[in-house]
Amino acid sequence: MSTRDRTAIPPRRRRPRGSRAERFAPLVLLAPAVLIIVGPRLWPLVLGINFSFTGDGDRDGTAVGFDNYLTLLGDPLFLTALRNVGLLVLLLPVAVAIPGLLATFLHLKVPGHRVYRGVYFFPAVLSPVIVGAIFTLLLAFDGPLNTVLGGLGIGPVDWLGDPDVAIFAIVGVHVWATFGMALVVFLAGFATLDPSLLDAAEVDGATLPQTIRHVIVPGLTRTIQFVFVTTLIGMLTSMFGLVYVMTSGGPEGSTYLPEYYVWIQQGQMNQPALASAASTALFLIMLVVGLAQIAVLRRTGGED
Amino acid sequence: MSGTRRAGWVAAIPMGLLALATVYPLVFTTNVALKTRREYVLDRFSPAGSWNWDNLVRAWTGVGMSRYFLNSVVVVTCSVALLLLIGSMAGFALARLKFRGSSVLFLGVLAALFVPFQVVMVPLARIMTGAGLVDTWPGLVLAYVAQFLPFTIFLLTSFYSTVPADVVDAARIDGNTVYGVYWRIMLPIGAPALLSVGVLDALFCWNDVLISLSLMPSAEHRTLMVGVTSLRGQYSDDIPAFAAGVLIAAVPVLVVYLFLQRQIADGVTAGSTKG
Repeated sequence: MSTRDRTAIPPRRRRPRGSRAERFAPLVLLAPAVLIIVGPRLWPLVLGINFSFTGDGDRDGTAVGFDNYLTLLGDPLFLTALRNVGLLVLLLPVAVAIPGLLATFLHLKVPGHRVYRGVYFFPAVLSPVIVGAIFTLLLAFDGPLNTVLGGLGIGPVDWLGDPDVAIFAIVGVHVWATFGMALVVFLAGFATLDPSLLDAAEVDGATLPQTIRHVIVPGLTRTIQFVFVTTLIGMLTSMFGLVYVMTSGGPEGSTYLPEYYVWIQQGQMNQPALASAASTALFLIMLVVGLAQIAVLRRTGGED
Repeated sequence: MSGTRRAGWVAAIPMGLLALATVYPLVFTTNVALKTRREYVLDRFSPAGSWNWDNLVRAWTGVGMSRYFLNSVVVVTCSVALLLLIGSMAGFALARLKFRGSSVLFLGVLAALFVPFQVVMVPLARIMTGAGLVDTWPGLVLAYVAQFLPFTIFLLTSFYSTVPADVVDAARIDGNTVYGVYWRIMLPIGAPALLSVGVLDALFCWNDVLISLSLMPSAEHRTLMVGVTSLRGQYSDDIPAFAAGVLIAAVPVLVVYLFLQRQIADGVTAGSTKG
């Protein structure tokens, strides 16, 4: 439409015309989204919680109270999965600090920072399946990593075959594959940081640890929290591919995670009600993470 | 030289080594994929003598990678198209139309973001079985759309909120209906955001293994990532062919990354800066 058309026909009203079709526009535009979010996502959540209080096999469909949850607590594999979640939480600060520190250096424009940024981010776009497949080659007992370590007089280490080592190997690979995501988020946070603060710190002759502690960490509180939460969610919900490809939960069930347990019970053991109970437990863990996030945000919001 | 500058120079060395460690696994895999079995057994590290495309050809034709590849392309294309259409409609309505309950709906979208597939997997598989959608393409596409729609809506709503109100008003004065504003104004203006979100959605769907594994049991319906998980059994004593299969699955993602790195990073950070 040209400007001349607009002047020729004076606008009747600035407000949207209230024709019938227009009044229902929000409904029409949102209906598909609402149906899809409620149908295959929120509704199954309710069904699943409900389902976790019914039985499997002979007791299919009958109410069994908390039996499934008691079964879970008596199952060493599920307890291992929970223990591994605890381990992930303990390792979380490391998984956040690595990209945080790297982002700091990139922001300070270390030589070659443009190249590093592109390189570090790239494993983040690879599927855990591909990453897992590549690392089964690299971490094999007679594989390249042990060959290199052997050359240095270390090892060999049975990365994926030793129950005490395998879970650390998998978490390590997960961090290798995903630290680029957090790195990019940190860099976006740095872009909002007042550059004069960093300059002032430099003029005052602050050392790097001092700058990090007194300028960067206080300035990036929100970003750091966001990375903490998304990293933990990533650990809880996107390591299935790695476990599935690299260890299948072994050796001796030592690399079970809740999501893998759910899949095994549902897909392999044909115990969907028990699987539902395990999913509900996973959901509760996620809920705690989410609520902790909100609580932390509130608290820092009050300080501002 | 100040403390931070000097630390930067010192850090450049380990950071360079880390960059090598980031790239090396893929370089190693590529090199192995181009070796003959004999070369691999004799020396894992040496560069492939003559580039041996035979492994790639075998993986592509021999164990059904070509079929899985096509399956993935079809499913990802359909899923992303639907995600962008439904997501942009909802995002536009949530960001630009004033109606009762819009904030409640947006909260619902945020809540759905925190419901991972693992949590709804069992009941969803039951619903899908009941509806006859297990092991069908529409079923898998529906599961992907349901999985990634909250994220898509969230980002597109944020984007459409930044479009100046004047643009919408002017379009209304020109006689556009609400739908006209959406179709003729918002979709073109939002093209960069759609590209960014679309690329991320495509990566999510392409890289998924759990959803596909639980909803598509039959071998001929495997997506590429599920195909990769089955490679190991098929090529347990033929590592170069295994590496070739892995490489085939990784190459499309690497190509996308090379060309759309900025868009991917924008999509990842869009959620974080909105706070």
